[in-house]
Order: sequence, then C-alpha cells, then structure tokens
Amino acid sequence: MTPGIQSQGHAASVTNAYKIYGDGESEVRALDGVTVAFESGRFTAIMGPSGSGKSTLLHCLAGLDTLSEGSVHIGEVDLSTLNDRELTELRRTQVGFVFQTFNLIPTLNAYENIVLPQMLGGERGDQAWIDEVIAAVGLGDRLTHRPSELSGGQQQRVAVARAMASRPQIIFGDEPTGNLDSRTGTEILKFMRAAVDEHHQTIVMVTHDPVAASYADRIIFLGDGKVVDEMLDPTAERVLDHMKGFGE
Amino acid sequence: MSIRSTALMARKSLRARLGRTIAIGFAIVAGVSFVVGSFVLADSLKATFDNLFAEVNAGVDLEVRAVNEFGTNASRRDPLPDTLVDEIQAVPGVGMAAPFLQRTAQFVTADGELVTTQGAPTFGVSYSTDTELSGLVLRDGRFPEGLSEVGIDKATSDRERIRLGDAVEVITDAGRFPFEIVGIVSLGNADGFGGATLAVFDFATAQVVFDAGNLADVISISVSDGADIATVQAGITEILPPRTEVITGDQVVQEAGAGISSVISAFGTGLLIFAFITSFVSAFIINNVFAITIGQRLRELALMRAVGASARQVSRMIILEAFVMSVIATLIGILGGIGVARLMIAFFNAAGLGFPPTGTTLLLRTILVAVAVGVGITLASVSVPAIRAARIPPVAAMRPELGFDALNTRRLLGGVIATSAGALSFLIGLFVRPGGNTGLILFAGGGGLLLFLGTASVSSTIARPVTAFLGWPVAKLLRTPGILARQNAGRSPRRTSASASALMIGVALVSAAAVFAASLRDTFVRVLDRSVTADYVITDSSFQGLTPDVATTLRALPELSAVSPIRGAPALIDGERTALGAADPAALGELLDLDLQRGGYEDLGFNAVLVHQDPAANLNLDLGSVVVATFQNGVSVDLTVVGVYADAAVAGNWLISLETLEAISPLPPRDFFVVAKLAPGVEAAFGDSAVRSAMEPFPQAIVQTNAEFREEQEAQINQLLLVITALLLFAILIAILGISITLALAVFERTREIGLLRAVGMTKRQTRRTVRWEAVIVSVFGAVIGVVLGSLIGVALAIAVPDSVIDAVSFSPSTTVVILIGAICAGLLAALYPSYKASRMNVLEAIATE
Repeated sequence: MTPGIQSQGHAASVTNAYKIYGDGESEVRALDGVTVAFESGRFTAIMGPSGSGKSTLLHCLAGLDTLSEGSVHIGEVDLSTLNDRELTELRRTQVGFVFQTFNLIPTLNAYENIVLPQMLGGERGDQAWIDEVIAAVGLGDRLTHRPSELSGGQQQRVAVARAMASRPQIIFGDEPTGNLDSRTGTEILKFMRAAVDEHHQTIVMVTHDPVAASYADRIIFLGDGKVVDEMLDPTAERVLDHMKGFGE
Repeated sequence: MSIRSTALMARKSLRARLGRTIAIGFAIVAGVSFVVGSFVLADSLKATFDNLFAEVNAGVDLEVRAVNEFGTNASRRDPLPDTLVDEIQAVPGVGMAAPFLQRTAQFVTADGELVTTQGAPTFGVSYSTDTELSGLVLRDGRFPEGLSEVGIDKATSDRERIRLGDAVEVITDAGRFPFEIVGIVSLGNADGFGGATLAVFDFATAQVVFDAGNLADVISISVSDGADIATVQAGITEILPPRTEVITGDQVVQEAGAGISSVISAFGTGLLIFAFITSFVSAFIINNVFAITIGQRLRELALMRAVGASARQVSRMIILEAFVMSVIATLIGILGGIGVARLMIAFFNAAGLGFPPTGTTLLLRTILVAVAVGVGITLASVSVPAIRAARIPPVAAMRPELGFDALNTRRLLGGVIATSAGALSFLIGLFVRPGGNTGLILFAGGGGLLLFLGTASVSSTIARPVTAFLGWPVAKLLRTPGILARQNAGRSPRRTSASASALMIGVALVSAAAVFAASLRDTFVRVLDRSVTADYVITDSSFQGLTPDVATTLRALPELSAVSPIRGAPALIDGERTALGAADPAALGELLDLDLQRGGYEDLGFNAVLVHQDPAANLNLDLGSVVVATFQNGVSVDLTVVGVYADAAVAGNWLISLETLEAISPLPPRDFFVVAKLAPGVEAAFGDSAVRSAMEPFPQAIVQTNAEFREEQEAQINQLLLVITALLLFAILIAILGISITLALAVFERTREIGLLRAVGMTKRQTRRTVRWEAVIVSVFGAVIGVVLGSLIGVALAIAVPDSVIDAVSFSPSTTVVILIGAICAGLLAALYPSYKASRMNVLEAIATE
C-alpha cells in the first residue's frame, strides 16, 4: 500500500480526551487521556481489544457522544462549542459514517440513500462530484433499487458512497467490513482505499481485523482507554505480529 | 411448559410492556365505560322516577279519569265535570276526593322576562288542600289561596331567581294574570322535573285561569282508614258516568313510570348504539396493537418454541395476557361507567334540568354486558394474532425473516367477500326489511359491521398506492421528511390500514349522517318552499302549542288576508293509528299548497276530509267516499272525502276542518302553529310590525317569516348532525389514540433507522416532522375511505326512506372539507407523543440497538 497524499493539516483531533462512566468504585475510564490527530487525505485504522475504548473514541470524534473532559476538533471547529442543532449540521456536512450493519434507510432506494444528507439539508450538492462517487460505486442500473434488493457488499458500497457524497472533512467507519465475508470485505476496503487515493478523502476506521487494518496508512492501537502504540504503512503480517506482542 | 409457566410468562410480558398494556387497557376501558354509563344512566333515572312517582302518589288510593280509546297513557284525556267530586265523596269508604287540573302556564318574572324552558313543558297545576293527594311538598312560604296567589317549583325558583313575595305574571291559554309568589314547592323530594316549570294554584283559581269552567282533569281519592280499596273502587264504579274509569294508585304510579321509562329507554338505547360503535372501534385498536407487538416479539416467541414450548402454549400465553388485561380493564370500565353516568346527571343538572337526587343503579345485566363487551372484544381481537403467533417456526429465533411468512395471511379475498356480503346484507336490511324492523336492525346492522370489517381488510391492499398519492404533496412540500413520512406510511400496508380503519369507521358514520341530513334538509326546504305559501309562521318555544287566541288576534289584523291555525288529533282509521290535521278551510288555499289532485279546499265543510293520495289509494277512496275516524275519547265520526292531495309534508295524511275537530272533544283546543298571509298590497315591513306588535301580549308566540322559519328548520337538522358527531367523538378519539399507539410502536421498531438518520444529519425537527406527517397521511387515508364509504351508506339510507321524507340525495361538501381538515388535526394530535419520542432518541443508543 502506498501512502496517500500528505495533507496540509488535520481533519480531526482529540486532545486530552477522557470519557468516564460511573464514579467511585464502579468508575470506568473508557478513554483515559487520549491525544491523537488525523491528517487529511489519509486512511487511519484504530485497533484494540474489546473495551479498549476504540468505539468510544470514534463516537466522540464524530460528535455522536460527548467527552467527560478534553476537546474534539473536526477541522478547525471545537465540537464542545456546538449545540445539538449545530452538531447535527456538522454531521450532515463535515462528517461521513459507515456502520457495521444497517447503514441504509430501507424505504429509500440506493441513489436516495447516497444523497440523503444533502436531501436532509435541502441542498443540491455538488452534482459532478456525486456523479463521480456514483460511478465509483459501480451500481449501474441498480441505483433505483431498495436496499433489500442489494447484496451486503453493494449495501456497504452505497454506505461509503453516502459518506463521500457531501465531501466531508472526514469519514468514520465503525467496523465497516465486520459483517461481510472476506471477499466482499476486500471489495469494500479497496473501494475505501481508492476513495483516499483518488478522491482525497480522509477515513478513520475502527476494526479488529488485521487484514482490514493493513489497507490503512496508519494504525493506532488503543488499550484501556489509552493510545498504546502506532504503526505506519502496515501489512497484515506486521499487524498480526504486533498483536501477538501484546500477549493476547 | 406447564400452565403455571404460561401464566408466569404472560404476567412478565404484561409488566414488561407496561406502556402497551396501558394503551390497550385504555381502549377497553373507554368502550366498557360508555356501555356501562349508558345502562347505568338509564337504569338510575328510571329507578329515580319510579320512586318519585311512588312518592308523589303515595297518598292516592284511587283515581277517576276519562277513558281513552287507544294510545299511550300520557295522551290527553277529556275532562270530567267537577260535580262528580261530591258524588264520589258520598261513596262509602271514600276518605277524601280531590279534583285536579293540569294545563300549561308560563311565568313572566317581575322584570317582564318570559321564563322559557328550552323545550321542556311549562305546567300549571292545581293542588288539593289535602296535600297527601297532590304529592306536592311545601319547601318555603305557604300554599297559594285565591286569585292572586301562586306557588312555584324550587328548581325554577332557584334558576330564575323568583323569590317569595315577587309580583309575577302567569300566561295561560285564557290570558295573562298577575300573581304573587307565596310558596315554593317540590314534587316529593325532587326540586324540579327535568327542566319543566310548575305553577301551582288552588283548584278554584285553576278553573278560572285555565278557563276550565266547572271541569276537572282527574279526581284523586284516598280511602278512609280501614276501608278496603277494591270495595271502594267497586262502589265508585257504580256511580261513574259512561266513558269514565276508576283505577288504583298503584296503576297510576305504574303508568306514569312506564310513560317516562319509554322516553328514558329510547334515550338510553340511542346512547348504547354509540357505546357499541365505540367498542367496535376499540376492538380494531386492540387487534392492531396485538398484531404489531407479536411481530415485534417474533424472536422471543420463536425462542420459546425453540426451547420447547408447544404452538398451543404460545397462543395460550398470548390469550392469557389479553384475558388478564381485559378483566382488569373491564372492572375499571364498570367503575368508569358509573362515573360517566354520574357526570352526565351532574351535567344535566348544571344545565338546569333539576333531576331529583338520583341513586346509582347497577343491574346484573349491565355487568354481564360489560364483561361481554370488555372481555369479549379483547379475546375476539386477539384470537387471530394468537393463532398466527403459534405458527411462528422455532428457527425464526435465529433467522427472524423466516418468521414473518407465518404472520402474513391472505386478506384480499376474505376482505372482498366480507365487504360484498356486508353491503348486500345492509341493502337487504334497508330495502327488503325481511321481518319488519327486526330484519332491518339485524340485516342492516350486521351488514354494516361486516362491511366495515371487509373494507378495513380490503383497504390494506390499496394502502400503498393511496398513501403514496396522499403523501405526494407532503413529499413535495417538506422534502426529505415528507418523502420519508410518505414512504413510512406505505411501508406496512396492513398496519397502516388497520390503524386508519378505526378512524374510517367514525368518519364513515359522520359522513353517512351528513349525507342523510343534507338530503333531509334539502328535501325539507324544497317541500316547505313549495307547500307553504304563507308569509308568517307562528310557533311556540316549548312545543306545547299555542292558545287559539293567537290566531283570533291575527285574524283581526287588516294587514293579513288569511290566517289559519294548524291543529291535530290522533285517531283510528281502518284500525290504524294515524293523525288528523285540522285547519281553517276558508284560509287554507291561500296559506298552503297541498298539491291538490281532485276536489277543492273550500269543500272542506263539517265532517268532510281531505286525504293524501297514498292512503286514498290504499283504502280505495275517492271523492264522495266515507271513512270512519274514531278518536281517543271514543267518538266516531263519518268523514266524507272531498279532496285528494299529493303533498303530505305539512298537513300529514288527513286534513279536517277546525269546526269538525272542535265538535269531537270538549278539550280546550291548542294550535301546533299558526300560518298567516299578508293582504295584497301590504308592504312586508309594514305587515311585519303589525304582526309583531299584535303578538306582544303573547310572549310565548314566536313570529317568523317564511324564510326565517325555513332557516330554523334547517338549523335544527344541522344541530341533529352535530349531536350525532359529538356522540361519535368518543369513537374518533379512541381511533386517534390507536393511530398514536401504532405510530409509537413503529417508532420503537425503527429505532436504529431513526438513529442512522440522526447520525447522518437529520435534525430533531426533521425527525418530528417525519413522524408527524406519517400520522397525518395515515389519518387522512382513513378519513378518505371513511368519507367514500360513509357517503355511499348515506346515499343508501336516503334512498331507503320514503320519498315524502327524502326525495333526492344531497351531499354536504362543507362537511367533507371539515372532516378532512379534522383528519389532519387528528394526525397531528396522534403524532404528539410518538414524534416527541422519536426526536428524543439518543443517537448512539439508537444505532447500537439490536
């Protein structure tokens, strides 16, 4: 894998992030002082065992959850300064999402799902860009089909396309290939890789799959709510070795 | 899994889904409360009045009165000579014999205000010095004596603030008399009598103010101590003149009770019909909610099957859940019904009807019907979902999509069959009436139910295209939230149609009533327009009729060229009960156009009759034929047919002259209404002021021009429609609740989807909007089907009634517009809770939901 174009700045960052549930004896520190930045135009994977805080980090980065302490920036914007309406607006315009399952609205067809954020905002969107994204999805005449008529891989491709359609600062993936067989998973990962390489998207993806992580430019390892390690230009073998090093 | 474990599961499930349980429970409670309330209200009032009559007549052992040939006991009777009192007093064993008069008398307050009753009677009665016999209880002051003293009932005194010592006037048929209030009385322990007013005089004064000469209406008798009532009764019978009877006090009580109880029963039955409609609508909601929740519990039920529960145990568990819920809800509903009845009595009393202190009568029959309705409709509603649940294969625990096949059934065929059979039965009931009224109720009522069920079923097949059509403007206007709302509405057609159907029933009934009322109104107006050629119609406010002095006064006006009162009397002709109208033949031709086919108005002399063409054809009558009419007092008269007419709207089927009617009975005549026509050349404004000033001494007379009269008739039909709508409101509210529950369940089901939408940038407002407009589309869908179905039913009803009542079908576009606007409001109302729920959802939790 070749690294993507080096960016001018950071698409997103967290500084001194704490996320604490409960207190006293039962206190759980899901994030325990995380500071990390994500450069524009790069594909980053976040890995770590269950309970390491990787999903919490992703949710807080995306403005779906709030930190107990510390700050999150998307581009230049400090998320803690935004109210619910502004956060929603930010999610619609600056952030893209790909979840593990249930990414699409069952009543809308593939095309409508792709342009959903723009539709919600009552905007036309950048038609040329959208056409480019749709061409990349390669659904052809299946664009007017409902999600139930698409395969799992096609559904995830539509989800990635939706995430790209508004040209967000950053796209977050929460185990986007977790629910797919390996062949379809590879197809999605290649698609995401291409989005970074050819369309200069920024992607941050949580995964536990070393093969999936190997498509990224950089891997951040979390453990017990802290950043424990980092790896650049990974391969599946190196990741696997690295994980073994954790003594799992 | 034993019965006990089934019960345990059922109990746990009820508790776990408390919100749903409460919602279904509410639908049951509402239906049962309405049913129980109708019964309790009618039974309590009946018992109260029975007690009241018993109390009022407690001192009466025997009563002498004229014999009525036919008709109800409430009908008027010929008066008796008051000399009969002394003769009866002389009969051995008679303790006290007292004559009574009861006519109409209206108070005018000291400020000159006429005391009106909104339709209730204004009684003027005499009392006896032996107060045991008159049943009146003195509450304040003393009983009136002589020509200047009057007593008043406590309810009217309180309502109108008429106090002891007030100088009032009393208007009777004989004129207007000044009086002083000296006593306030009650009937037994009842302050008043259903909004009626009561003026009390001593007997001699009553004879004067009622212009009753030396007559009495009835004579009440108490026997002396130790005398045997039957012996005294036999003794009195011997001295009575012909066509006079003596009955026991018990019979008086019983007849009075029967009279009022037929009114209360009719009222109670009316309420009950609406109560059952409400229950029927509740059944829809219950069925729908169970069907939906079983879909949502698919995995749970499949898991139970997988771990060894039999299909029967699964359905038994669901039925047990429903049973427990319905029993509790029915008990609450019975209590609620008693509350509803008390509330209505309080409401009537607040409106000034002055019911006597009313106890609460809860009969075993009421409880049985409540259980049948509450438990019955719930079990019936849940049976289909329970059977379906049993069909869920165990493997659905792992692969839920396999389970849904078990939940889908073919509905179209059954729906079409039910709809057609229902419609057919409805039409047979209306037009063929096998077995008379019973057939009408059985076929039309049963057909109606089947028709609604079938339509509800069929509507699920058109739900998708119709909601897509209705949602089009919403999608255009509101963009994405609108598009989503539109698609969500069409997403589960069965569910959409089921929740819309509840509203459909209410709307259909309102629409049917609207078409019927509009047709009735238009026919009525057309008929009045054509047949009433008079310029003025004079009526009275309490439906008791007018004194003949009104017509006499008007006749004297030079501005009027023709004046005639319209009277009537019940009679038997050819063994059938009918009503004879009476008018002044000299003026008739100018005032009414009966569409005379043969003969002439001027031929309507003494013992002559004009007859409508229908009875004329039935009885084979033509000019010169003779028919025998027997009146209530037993007098029979040979009437010669002198004309045949085609318009029965104003005159009824038979019309005789005033002279003929007056010769039949010594009862003082009362006029239903008076019609009058301006003399040629008299300007309307001029005539108006002449008529109105001539009527000043008669404040009870309401003067209306022809147009005003017509408008009032129209207004009354509109009011009837309003009352029907108000009674259907309960069913409609439950339907709205149903839409709300369905939507809340749908929101719950779509938690992840809503979370996803919020995650990709939908605002809370847009989320609320999506849910809100889905509710609007669903309710408008229900309303549209309801309007279509209801209008068809209305057309059938309008065609089924005789042409003399409705001769052409009219629609009421304004009502339809109001219904559709109402449906939008209903949708908005129904969406309040679900949309709030949807927008308050935590995005992260929503996405993480399984």
